[in-house]
Amino acid sequence: MKSSKNQTVNVCGAELSRRGFLKQGGALVVGLSLLKTEIGQAATSGTTLNPALTQSWIEIHPDNTVLLRTGKCDFGQSSVYTAYRQIIAEELDVPFEAITSVVIGDTDRTPDGSGTFDLLGRGVGNLKKVAAYTRQAMLELASQKFGVPREQITTHAGVASGGGKSATYGELVSDQNFKLSIPVTGDLTSMFGLVVTGNPPMKPASSYTVVGKSFKNSVIPSKVTAKEVWVTNVRLPGMLHARIVHPATLGSKLVSAGQVDKKRFPNAQVVVKGNLVGVVAPTEWEAIQASRQVASSTKWSEWKGLPGSGNLFRFFRQDADWKSATVNKSQKSKGDVPSALASAPKKHSATYEMPYMKHAPIGPTMALADYRPDGTVTVHTHNQNPQALRGQIAMMLGIADEKVIVREYSGAGHYGRSNGGNAGAEDEAVILSKELGRPVRVQWMRPEDFQWSTQSSAGYSDVKIGLDANGKIVAYEADHYMPAMQDDRPIGAVLAGLPTMPAPSDKGSRLNSTVNGNSDGWIYDGVLNLQEQAHGTWQVGQRESPIAVGLRDHSMRTPGQYQQNFPREVAISEAAALAGADPIQFRIDHATDERVKHVLQRVREESGWENRPSPHSKAAVTGTAVVRGQGVSLMFRTGSYWACACQIAVTPATGAIVVEKVTMVVDPGIVVNPLQLKRQVEGGSMMGISQALHEEVAFNESGITTQDWLSYPILKMAEIPEIKVVLVHRPEVGNYGQGSEAANALAAPAIAAAFFDATGKPARKLPLKAAYVKELLKA
Amino acid sequence: MTITVNGTKREVQSPSDTPILYVLRNELEVSSPQFGCGLAQCGACSVLLDGKEIRSCITPISAAAGKEVTTLEGLPARWAKQQNLSAADAEKTLHPVQEAWIEEQTPLCGFCQSGMMIKATELLEKTPSPTVAEIKTAFTTSGTSAHLCRCGSYTAIIEAVRYASTLMTKGGAK
Repeated sequence: MKSSKNQTVNVCGAELSRRGFLKQGGALVVGLSLLKTEIGQAATSGTTLNPALTQSWIEIHPDNTVLLRTGKCDFGQSSVYTAYRQIIAEELDVPFEAITSVVIGDTDRTPDGSGTFDLLGRGVGNLKKVAAYTRQAMLELASQKFGVPREQITTHAGVASGGGKSATYGELVSDQNFKLSIPVTGDLTSMFGLVVTGNPPMKPASSYTVVGKSFKNSVIPSKVTAKEVWVTNVRLPGMLHARIVHPATLGSKLVSAGQVDKKRFPNAQVVVKGNLVGVVAPTEWEAIQASRQVASSTKWSEWKGLPGSGNLFRFFRQDADWKSATVNKSQKSKGDVPSALASAPKKHSATYEMPYMKHAPIGPTMALADYRPDGTVTVHTHNQNPQALRGQIAMMLGIADEKVIVREYSGAGHYGRSNGGNAGAEDEAVILSKELGRPVRVQWMRPEDFQWSTQSSAGYSDVKIGLDANGKIVAYEADHYMPAMQDDRPIGAVLAGLPTMPAPSDKGSRLNSTVNGNSDGWIYDGVLNLQEQAHGTWQVGQRESPIAVGLRDHSMRTPGQYQQNFPREVAISEAAALAGADPIQFRIDHATDERVKHVLQRVREESGWENRPSPHSKAAVTGTAVVRGQGVSLMFRTGSYWACACQIAVTPATGAIVVEKVTMVVDPGIVVNPLQLKRQVEGGSMMGISQALHEEVAFNESGITTQDWLSYPILKMAEIPEIKVVLVHRPEVGNYGQGSEAANALAAPAIAAAFFDATGKPARKLPLKAAYVKELLKA
Repeated sequence: MTITVNGTKREVQSPSDTPILYVLRNELEVSSPQFGCGLAQCGACSVLLDGKEIRSCITPISAAAGKEVTTLEGLPARWAKQQNLSAADAEKTLHPVQEAWIEEQTPLCGFCQSGMMIKATELLEKTPSPTVAEIKTAFTTSGTSAHLCRCGSYTAIIEAVRYASTLMTKGGAK
């Protein structure tokens, strides 16, 4: 390699090549190379490496700094700025501080796509492998420089040594340009993006020194000092502000669009495309006012095709079509449940109901699109999956992916709403920009963000548990019912009648199917007879709506599993009561996995738990005096074990529930960053309490009536409990599970169980609002 | 119309019924207050108007005529003035609330935090050593509405307010 200018060396399956010598500078740039079998698909998606090298994964510079690029984004998890740096620093063998830049999301500047979810699983998997390949390349470069075989080179803190010589990574790349091509497969603009292949040698977890430390989040200072460029701050020359006049109902067609009162709003203009009505103006205030005026005179066809939230579960039970979608039986189902149930001396049988809930970002969706005369378009947005959005915009316009660029900025958290590619405003901004030939900024108002966004699916479950004479579970049966939970069609394209992916159906693929999955992995392995079935159906109103809209659903934190874990965990607590057992000990007695038992034991020790059966001896259903109760919940999700205990106070006379203390124990295996994980768990716990106590989407026969923070209240600071987060660090596990989103799911079943403990009345429906609580206590 | 924004007099061209939020963000390019609801229900748009926290999304710019608006951008200068810092020191100083928000790693997505820091500043200027109960009251019932955080950073906010309180009591981060 020393003698030849452009020789290529194979490094564990990646290709390392020298692109020439330089008078100064130099770098090692890690790009992607496509597996031959995938070239056709990916090449049309524009994945060929840009010669300007702006799509590389990693750059190593002569000054020993390192730059990372990832298609994953930040929605407040901080992982791309903290855990990613730590994991990559380990695998590259450089100090954390050496990674000075992290470029995220932009489709023209990052290599791999896929969504901002499963960040420490599939998410970081790509970069981790790339870093491992890159370290091998550094070994190769050191081997050449020192004249020592690669196997004899070692690395430490960004320095390669061997044969009595050593050099920093910066020195190894200095004055030369190297390129390392990494093998990948997959489809860049699909939900899951590109995947790095091969098996470069990885560092054993036992040697980690950077992972496990509490590094700070590098994006916080700019957010706290008003230096961050939020998506809401992006402005382009000649830009117009837009507001959308969305249809009167979730099934209305446009009859006639209103006209702008030019005396009042001389600069405003209406744009109509199918059933999409936009109002634009040079200033935001004029656009807002003019859109209200236009909305008041825009006529829509009437539509009634929804059951109304008050009738939802009767509709699900009696009218919904659960037959067209295949029923999924869980993999762990086993034994003979009907016989075991029939012969069980004690039985628990109940139905559990979960409402529609909103992701409810604190800032409504907003995007700025710039459609150019040459047929290219750039979308400035805040999105969990920019590459998938790119594909959706290209499909909508009937153009190649290469003509679409999506740029990512900071914004309000989405909690899953945009993980499949759109948050709501992006496609509308593109349509208006194309129509007007100018950059257009679409900002949804608060009511629209409740009424025209997707929501977390409602669902219900029938659970049966049989106990033997000793109070052990002999059979567990659950049937989970939930409509399709992932509708990634861009709403503006749907309204405008432009091409989108198909609506969820019984013939859809994994991501737009009416088939429901078993999402809540079974962890009570001591139970011998088990049957869990997931039943799916169409989104409510989707087929009845003349514009194929209806109640559009979308995965939200712990999707599907939230809807299945609440019934299971509340039912297990009720079964424990039937058995006369303490609900934590009851769970331990049915578990075989030591990590399950350990998180339960820890939550008992850390929460001030009273070992006794529920309900409490002082449980009461009347009176103005507070009654108190305790409840527990358990979950396994993406490599992490969770246990939660809640202590609550109930005032029977008012129906008020106060959560006084929450203890959350999480065992993710290796804890990558204790401080950031603690903050994530605290946040998820609060959102979970909010969901349990307050959150429910109201709708009538025509559409969603929830419209603001009064009709969709979320947890306020005065309502927060004392919180204790216990992180169980298990380096011996050798890997790390997910940290953040699962925290959401634990509070509701623990609070419902605590309510049962305090009052003796089972709570089997969310949310636990005062009116519902009073109803329960009267029953 | 003339208003003072973060210590500087600014001429405003926008119509007088324009909410302060849009004047700040679009005309004056002061972009820290965020649009969260436009209904004074969340606090993402909070600014100080003569030291009192208000919701800029519903307050017309006419209400700010002749008054002083302080946003997140203006917190360091506000603190420097209160502490009589030299220009050189002021330049490299953050408001203790900002220091505390960084130290405690408070923001998750951070979209609500400009409003939260404004509320914290108002609270600490009046009540230098607030109890947890006083902090909860300030962020829940003292203003036009509760300050909402969807990510659930309330615990981290309380910890940051308490840390900011200690910093302010000893005259800032040194």
